[in-house]
Amino acid sequence: MVLGDLGRKIKGALWNMTSATVIDEEVFDELVKDICRALIESDVQVGLVSKLRNNIKAAVQFDDSGAGVNRRRQIQRAVFTELCKLVDPGVTPWKPKKNQPNVIMFVGLQGSGKTTTCTKLAYHYQRRGWKACLVCADTFRAGAFDQLKQNATKARIPFYGSYTEIDPVVIAADGVEKFKQQGFEIIIVDTSGRHKQEDSLFEEMLQVSNAVDPDNIIFVMDATIGQACQGQAQAFKDKVDVGAVIVTKLDGHAKGGGALSAVAATKSPIVYIGTGEHIDDLEPFQTKSFVSKLLGMGDVQGLMER
Amino acid sequence: LFTLFRKITGTSEMTKENVQPILDQMQQHLMAKNVAADVAAKLCASVGEKLVGRTKGTFTTIKSVVKQALEESLTQILSPKRQIDILRDVRAAQQEGRPFSMVFCGVNGVGKSTNLSKIAFWLLSNNMRVMIAACDTFRSGAVEQLRTHCRKLRTMLDDTDDAHPRVVVYDRGYGRNDAEVAADAIRIAKSEKYDVVLIDTAGRMQDNAPLMRSLTQLIRTNKPDLVLFVGEALVGNEAVDQLTKFNRALQDYSEERNPRVIDGILLTKFDTVDDKVGSSISMTYITGQPIVFVGTGQHYFDLRKLNVKSVVSALLKPVQK
Ligand SMILES: Nc1nc2c(ncn2[C@@H]2O[C@H](COP(=O)(O)OP(=O)(O)OP(=O)(O)O)[C@@H](O)[C@H]2O)c(=O)[nH]1
Ligand SMILES: Nc1nc2c(ncn2[C@@H]2O[C@H](COP(=O)(O)OP(=O)(O)OP(=O)(O)O)[C@@H](O)[C@H]2O)c(=O)[nH]1
Ligand SMILES: [Mg+2]
Ligand SMILES: [Mg+2]
Repeated sequence: MVLGDLGRKIKGALWNMTSATVIDEEVFDELVKDICRALIESDVQVGLVSKLRNNIKAAVQFDDSGAGVNRRRQIQRAVFTELCKLVDPGVTPWKPKKNQPNVIMFVGLQGSGKTTTCTKLAYHYQRRGWKACLVCADTFRAGAFDQLKQNATKARIPFYGSYTEIDPVVIAADGVEKFKQQGFEIIIVDTSGRHKQEDSLFEEMLQVSNAVDPDNIIFVMDATIGQACQGQAQAFKDKVDVGAVIVTKLDGHAKGGGALSAVAATKSPIVYIGTGEHIDDLEPFQTKSFVSKLLGMGDVQGLMER
Repeated sequence: LFTLFRKITGTSEMTKENVQPILDQMQQHLMAKNVAADVAAKLCASVGEKLVGRTKGTFTTIKSVVKQALEESLTQILSPKRQIDILRDVRAAQQEGRPFSMVFCGVNGVGKSTNLSKIAFWLLSNNMRVMIAACDTFRSGAVEQLRTHCRKLRTMLDDTDDAHPRVVVYDRGYGRNDAEVAADAIRIAKSEKYDVVLIDTAGRMQDNAPLMRSLTQLIRTNKPDLVLFVGEALVGNEAVDQLTKFNRALQDYSEERNPRVIDGILLTKFDTVDDKVGSSISMTYITGQPIVFVGTGQHYFDLRKLNVKSVVSALLKPVQK
């Protein structure tokens, strides 16, 4: 499971606490420390982790002389609430509507997996009976159009792009217009990789967005990303209306904690995860069931009852 | 009298108790700068070992002593024990009448092909003739990506002599055995008097055994002069696992007595991380190998040598928001 290691560590920390006979401040501190360590080792942003630490600590009072069981419950609830806040932005993900064009624009850092994931998502919808297509609005990266074209051809997905037009805004607008007229339902626009330090690239992204007026913008993020994630994700969100996150490369060893930082920064849910280079290596992601699995809700509830 | 003397000069011993809290702060700070958690912990522990039991001078705080010791450690980790001088080695290979070859490997999307092209540009600027071997025969568009770079490079150089181009791509399309494509490229480069063969490889996850085995095969059969690991500055804790496992796979899957491992690191996307430059520490700490180049953008000129001093100072500065 994604972020599974993290889940295991957190559960382990909770178990350690419950097996202690007396829950004093020392045991509590140790628990909080273990959880924070697990989060940082999974690449959750350090700032977010210290916020979580403070919130958990503020929620548990040691001066009131509540009974041991009460305190245990209090601690578990505080940990649960804070972790939920971290993974679940509390936003219902956007859903496409049948029999009308739905324009989805992909954005993200260089090499995060946008082009690959675009095809995966188009294929995903196509197999479920939607009329899906792809537009290549990356005129910068060498071989970008060939990449999308070869992927799309293999999957028999209609595509649009150009070897001669150098303005991505023009291609995006033309492609979306053409496919709208042809009655496509899922129109996915791939864009170049970019980063917040280069204004002109961000400006270009805004222009493409303005030109195609997307129904949803998906921020694609590599699971191996470290502490730079939050700042980058935030900058993307500040520039365009990001509505969802896809985390790629989770077939590797990465725990994907950076994803949690991106969720916090964009206030957008994770909707899919990428688990390989092949076209069907895409899995839907449900925040709610992830959180309960992450925390082994069953176990926690069982403990709380006691 | 002696104790009085000590008091006057104000020297005091550094103990575990007074050093540890500061080390904890430093460790947290390094992690915020994107040094892998494990590496940050080990680094701070070794600084602690060095300092505990020593005495500090009157006008210094423990914090400044710790900071200075850390600065020294960081500088030492980043300073190469071994210099890699590619131009010199290329000339040596020229003397032997064979092309110098280098392999670019790493996980998916880190910048192998782009930075290979930047190195081609740098070699061309040094009057070398370059063959690019398209050994990523898997990812869509990988071959066309290299052909596009080659065409652009030739335009930049005003290279119009199609009979003897200064830079070419050798490819055999998709789905081929990469080790064989590399072997062919090296053979042809030798007969056509190219000075350097740059071998692009497909991105692969460090845990993907079949792909790691095939990389080992490529390296074992072609004996490149240089194996560069390409890693991106964006990577967090995974830096450790990537490098450890690439090295281990190259050792484990090779049947040779002295298997080849990674010779050096190319650190890309340095322009995307502001002052969170900690991955440079994680990567060099794990391998002990030098960072040979740093990629600082998407253009041909965006290739630098690592500036150890400025990286260390970025690491020690307060964390940027
Ligand atoms: N293992 C693995 N590799 C992936 C996954 N998603 C994408 N990749 C690989 O990551 C690399 C980069 O993917 P691209 O789709 O080209 O990334 P991009 O974001 O379009 O890159 P730019 O357009 O250059 O910014 C390729 O080698 C892909 O095959 C995944 O889920 N798992
Ligand atoms: N900002 C920035 N982008 C870079 C740098 N190096 C490479 N890139 C970008 O990163 C993306 C991926 O680069 P590639 O060279 O295709 O990466 P790769 O490792 O060959 O990818 P695969 O072959 O798919 O595994 C492209 O959009 C490059 O332009 C760099 O130093 N800075
Ligand atoms: Mg792309
Ligand atoms: Mg490549």
